[in-house]
Amino acid sequence: MREAPYPTVLKPYGRALVELARNRPDVVCLSGDLTRQCEVDLFQEAFPDRFIHAGMAEANMMSMAGALAREGLIPFVHTFGVFATRRPYDQVVNAIAYPNLPVRIIGFMPGLSTPGGPSHQAIEDVAIMRALPHMTVVDVADAVEIAQVVPAIVDHPGPVYLRLKRGEIPVVFEEEHRFSLTAAQHLVPGGDVVLVTSGMMLPATLRAANVLAAAGVAAGVVNVPVIKPLDRAGILRSVGSARAVVTVENHTVIGGLGSAVAEALAESGAGVPLRRVGIQDTFAEGSKSGPYLFEKYGLSTQHIVDTAWSLLGRPPAAPRAPENRAEQGEYAPV
Amino acid sequence: MTSTAHRTADRPTQGAARSATKPAEPPAEKTSAETAPAQAADTVGQIERLARRIRLRAVRMIAPHGFGYLGQALSAAETIATLHTGFFRPGTDRFVCSPGHYIITAYAAAAEAGVLADTELARYGQDGSEIEAIGTERSPGTDLTCGSLAQGLSGGAGFALADRLRGAEGTRRTFVLVSDGEVEEGQTWEAALYAAHHRLGDLVVLLDANDSQVDGPVSSLTTVEPLAEKWRSFGWYAEDVDGHDPVQLLHALEKAVADPRPGVVIARTSTTHGLSCLPPEADGHFIKMPAGLAELALGELADDHA
Repeated sequence: MREAPYPTVLKPYGRALVELARNRPDVVCLSGDLTRQCEVDLFQEAFPDRFIHAGMAEANMMSMAGALAREGLIPFVHTFGVFATRRPYDQVVNAIAYPNLPVRIIGFMPGLSTPGGPSHQAIEDVAIMRALPHMTVVDVADAVEIAQVVPAIVDHPGPVYLRLKRGEIPVVFEEEHRFSLTAAQHLVPGGDVVLVTSGMMLPATLRAANVLAAAGVAAGVVNVPVIKPLDRAGILRSVGSARAVVTVENHTVIGGLGSAVAEALAESGAGVPLRRVGIQDTFAEGSKSGPYLFEKYGLSTQHIVDTAWSLLGRPPAAPRAPENRAEQGEYAPV
Repeated sequence: MTSTAHRTADRPTQGAARSATKPAEPPAEKTSAETAPAQAADTVGQIERLARRIRLRAVRMIAPHGFGYLGQALSAAETIATLHTGFFRPGTDRFVCSPGHYIITAYAAAAEAGVLADTELARYGQDGSEIEAIGTERSPGTDLTCGSLAQGLSGGAGFALADRLRGAEGTRRTFVLVSDGEVEEGQTWEAALYAAHHRLGDLVVLLDANDSQVDGPVSSLTTVEPLAEKWRSFGWYAEDVDGHDPVQLLHALEKAVADPRPGVVIARTSTTHGLSCLPPEADGHFIKMPAGLAELALGELADDHA
């Protein structure tokens, strides 16, 4: 893995989809009036005959995608996460999930990554998509994972919800990193506390582990890009005999990664103390910048450090996370 | 239904769905009703007979329960019978039953086509039966259905779009049965906008306007009229007909199929049509049919009373 601040790239998803579609004439691309924002202007340019402007009509878009899949095509459906899940939920259920069709739903702007306010912040998308039978839920962390997840899901037998950061995408992993649809990855060893995370929270979690390590706490990090089906065995192995577990997610703590890990730990009888860093059962707000929201709603590196520190029963005054020092075009966690 | 990942090989699937709608005779000439009165009369007679048989089978299906979605079969009987008399091409065209509780009509039509056995029909709505009262993924007799309303037209648009993407446009039609209550759902109009803008001309809607929804007559709850004007203003071919008159249905369907725009035939119907024994206060959405009434109904619809 690289060290923060991370270099960033633009449109890794859009490029990966075009690469995939070159050899896959069955891949079709739907856009809900957010074509450039979802990076599929690249697809539209490369394969105009397979690009479908569904307009601002998500219910119709999801139902059409289901029908296209019934006809043997592989629809990749694009809009913001809120409009891909909460708005057309009944259509996703009946047209896609229940018939177990290979529709790939790509929801951009996860959690508080947008300052656009509660209408645009997908804070419960993982929870509601995870609740659907047949649905696979993926939340990738960086451009290297994005490039690999696209070909990894194309032939998955059922529906997939893929949650993607929009805009400048950090490159956290080295090129050798291998994304897996089945295995969680134990990235950093450490047995005092294990930090379990996915998606956009990986950089902050890695930094938190560094801060904790410098203060004498061995903090392991597990990356869980596939929240459903959850690699329960892998997570339990990684947790091992740790004294505490902290989950970290850019999502409400109800129903997402933290809940999934809690279920796995509880049902295995692990009995390990657990805390969930995430949005604490509240709607957020609009703002000028995303980082402001990450600070305000408890998604910063310092929140992770403080949570682990107190869960381990350490004396007050947790170590301080260093300041964000990303230059233009770089990405560093809040 | 079309193939889906969870579908098992042993259930009646595509074959049943596609062949469920065998026409009673070769397609009639388009102008037959005007130029060949004898042939037209014959076609009308076949539609009337098939409509009566659909009603009879629907009564048989709900009678063991004492209630059920009979009104939908009574209102849509002639529309479905007309579709299956020269328009729907088995193995080529698709049939979408948008409102899942109309599936009783599709089952009856499939049974009339000989692809659904009487023994299966007798299991309608029973525990463990795949012949469910509200259509699901395992329902025979249709390529797509959904109990959550107003999703079928979007599915039909998706089918027509799939044909276009594969260069098969113009070779197969997608017929979608829609109910007037469904147009209260916004998704209907999302799909109508999409299909018209993209001129999905292979898409034909049969709109059963029976003025019935759960809480009462559609017209008493939401003003959906003027339906034909609405569809036309959205860019569709649209025509209002008496949905119990085979001649009107035949003519309107011919025009809807031929028009380069997506087409809709608005069939004005009644949920009690063709069954005079029903009490006037019968709730068309979910008709009660105690044993005595069922006996009267079966007698009224029996072949020898035709």
